[in-house]
Amino acid sequence: MIPQRARRSVAAAACAALLISACGSDSATESGGDAPEETSADAATTETTPTDENSDDTAASSGEQIDVWIAFTDERLDWTEQVAADFNAQSDGPDVVVQGFEDYESLFDATLLAFDQGEPPAVVQYFEAATTEARDAVGGNGNPLFTSIETAIDGRDEINGVEVIIDDVVTAAANYYTIDGTLTSMPWNTSSSTMFINRSLLEAAGIDGTPETWDDLQSMCEAYMASDAATDSCITWPNHSWFLEQSVAQQGALLVNNDNGRSDRASEVMLDSDAMVDYVTFWKEMQAGGLYTYTGTQRDWGGTYDLFAAQEVPFLVYSSSDTTLLTDEGVAGGFDVEAAFMPRNANATAGGGNIIGGATLWLVDGLATEDQDTALAFMNFLNSPENAADWHRVTGYIPITNASIELLEADGWFDENPNSAIANEQLAAAEESSATAGALVGNFVAIRDVLTEGVEDILVNDLDPAERLGDAQVEAQKLLDEYNELFG
Amino acid sequence: MNVPLAIASVALVAVVAAVLLAQAAATFGRSRLVGALSGAILGLAGPLTVMLPLGFCTFEQAATTIDRWFGLSLIAGAGYVAFALGRTALDPAAQARRRRRGDDVAHGAFGGNPIIPWLLLAPTLIVLVVFLYWPALRTMRLSTQLARLGAPRRGERCVTNFTELIGPDIPWLVMSATAMAALLWTSIWFARRHLADSPIGPARQRVESITRWASTAATGAVLLAIAGIWTADYRAVFVVTMIISFGTVAGGISIALGIAYLAYQPIRGAGLYRTLLVWPYAISPPIAGLLFFVMFDANSGIIEHTLDSVFGLALPDYRTNAQLAQFVVVLASIWKTLGYNLLFYIAGLQTVPKDQMEAAMLDGAGSLQRFRYVVMPALSPITFFLIVTNLTYAFFETYGTIEYLTAGGPAGQTSVAMYEIIQTAIPGRDLGRGAAQSLVLFGGVVALTIWQFRSTGRRVSYGH
Repeated sequence: MIPQRARRSVAAAACAALLISACGSDSATESGGDAPEETSADAATTETTPTDENSDDTAASSGEQIDVWIAFTDERLDWTEQVAADFNAQSDGPDVVVQGFEDYESLFDATLLAFDQGEPPAVVQYFEAATTEARDAVGGNGNPLFTSIETAIDGRDEINGVEVIIDDVVTAAANYYTIDGTLTSMPWNTSSSTMFINRSLLEAAGIDGTPETWDDLQSMCEAYMASDAATDSCITWPNHSWFLEQSVAQQGALLVNNDNGRSDRASEVMLDSDAMVDYVTFWKEMQAGGLYTYTGTQRDWGGTYDLFAAQEVPFLVYSSSDTTLLTDEGVAGGFDVEAAFMPRNANATAGGGNIIGGATLWLVDGLATEDQDTALAFMNFLNSPENAADWHRVTGYIPITNASIELLEADGWFDENPNSAIANEQLAAAEESSATAGALVGNFVAIRDVLTEGVEDILVNDLDPAERLGDAQVEAQKLLDEYNELFG
Repeated sequence: MNVPLAIASVALVAVVAAVLLAQAAATFGRSRLVGALSGAILGLAGPLTVMLPLGFCTFEQAATTIDRWFGLSLIAGAGYVAFALGRTALDPAAQARRRRRGDDVAHGAFGGNPIIPWLLLAPTLIVLVVFLYWPALRTMRLSTQLARLGAPRRGERCVTNFTELIGPDIPWLVMSATAMAALLWTSIWFARRHLADSPIGPARQRVESITRWASTAATGAVLLAIAGIWTADYRAVFVVTMIISFGTVAGGISIALGIAYLAYQPIRGAGLYRTLLVWPYAISPPIAGLLFFVMFDANSGIIEHTLDSVFGLALPDYRTNAQLAQFVVVLASIWKTLGYNLLFYIAGLQTVPKDQMEAAMLDGAGSLQRFRYVVMPALSPITFFLIVTNLTYAFFETYGTIEYLTAGGPAGQTSVAMYEIIQTAIPGRDLGRGAAQSLVLFGGVVALTIWQFRSTGRRVSYGH
């Protein structure tokens, strides 16, 4: 997702620059689209160009240094390198060297290659939808690629002088990444899907209140479009499978069988469940009523962001990781941006709630003890209350531990930035269940693409949601069966 | 495993090849026995080269009917290729033709020395083998597997990766289009035979032009038949590929020819102007996509902004309209290849013989007639070359443009074969299907190239 986003950002920045110069206004070009953003991950592309720092010395078990590979190449890489420098200054073990990759896919492929050559990195970042694949990953010799961090920590409270924080991780993230009773990987960049409201546009239309349900949203949007302040349409969000998964979880429904793949390996997908069909039907109704704008491509983070930033729509459902950016868009563009919970289905009877998105840090299996301890110490250091709070302030990802939330509260951060509190509040409000823990399933990325293709077909070609999702179900089931044939 | 059928089909191919080659050997004035023997050997070798690596898996009990037919057509196809090679080897005329064209090592500087030419070729051959032939072989292997990118575990899929693309969804279309093509070709064949001994004149010209049209119609019928073979999903890919490729090639070449003809007129500053026209060639396909996106985007594009602020009009959204999306992709691709095509056409126009132009002028030919009957035939080698390079571009390099313009949408309506392959193999991590689809594309391009050389290539005049 990141490189696609980056490309879109270029386009968005170019568009923004052109639009703004055309308008003769001189504000806001900087924050146009060039963002530390995105989240939930998709794996769309594969440019295999690691940013070329430190690529000469990649020996993980030399005792002199360990490698940490992450899929960021922007200021988030700079931030991580700074934290690594702080870590190295206080640690007397091997030095941590951070290397950035273009995207999760090329990072993962590079890890497999390095693993087969006997010189793997110690820590690798991988995204939430690929959790099953990371757990199943084996090297050429058939050995597992990663090992559970909780097992490796082995009950210690501190490692090399760094306090262990895994018991303090916020519930939603801990639940997602706890599999078979153990925390498999270290949560890091984590977000949820929230709604953003252009309060100024709504006020101009004489509408107040915040929509909590689909019906609220629909009637508010109808009122907005009927008003004099109406713009092209009322709401948009990316056609990314993540939002469909969010909605299914909100309705307390499962995406895959075996308790969302948490009691046993998932063997059946449920893309045509009632919850899914209801959500897509609502989506299609919104579009048919001229209330929702489909930007025409799947996973279009850039186009939807731009519509909101250009005040073409008063509502946007998006990733909370861009909360800071979107709020700043409002400051720069002279409108008030308010974050709110993602609207839910008022008719859903089963309790549910929103799920997380983002990525975690995986510990490579088979490291020398000293290297492994350094890797574990670094992961915990990265999420120390101060660092986790700073990460939240810099990027907009949620503060990942309760201690970091307390720290931010004590600083008065949420009073000054109320929008930044929404994602955590929404996640905390979710009922704890396998629905809100999130789905674990093999071949998830390809299955996600089947789903978004189906939704695009429904929106563009005006098809019946239940019927088209039925086709998607068959296709996705085949993909899962094949995956389980190899790994099951 | 259905062993009798496997043996019977291979043996049948060998026998047919032996009979046909014996017949061919006799017409070439060689011994029938030599022909029959080599035919039998080749007829065995061809099918076995294909089926041994597959382990004759299409004859397994688990294979579907389509798998079985697919296996049989592989055997027949391999047999035909082996037979054609044998026939060429036996044909003294073909050898003479090769010698005339100069691609025969028996003469020339190395005078039959068997080693030195290979040594000199070795660097090229090594590069070809390592970077082209070996990956191609790996692709073939992968296309028969259930393989995921980054997962060392593999499952065997026999030919399922291919046959699951085949419906055949619209059997009546396949049948009728095939029958149509066969009928047309038979009549063309008879007409040509008849023409060979008819006198040159308007009547013969008329028949010739009719056969040309009939040949084009036959090609269209074959394309229709192929379209009918696929499943509904893959047919969409096939149709989209055809629309975008032919749109890009036909549009690109005719627009380039028109602009080149205009730019070639002797006017002031033409040199500079012509140089500037080449610019789009220097821009990479993704950037072309990005530029057209920035212009045509219906939500925040430049054109939308201008239309909206000046005229209060809304630009239709190409990203949600299939025809518009295809049109914009074709437009961007044409623009991208325009510089390249112009370069060749402007160079080509300088080689159009002046005396022929003057003679035509003296004969009273108008500007359009001169263009049609003098300039276009003189440019035919360049047009032929450009068709080949443009088709290659349209098939293999539009990925970047499409990715930035439409991302294959709306609902797959701009997802050409190459885009589909990359989507399947890289983000979808499904290497087996990706490999199978890339072989299908490879086969299509090979067939198209052969057809091109046979049909268009024959009408190209190189002026000697």
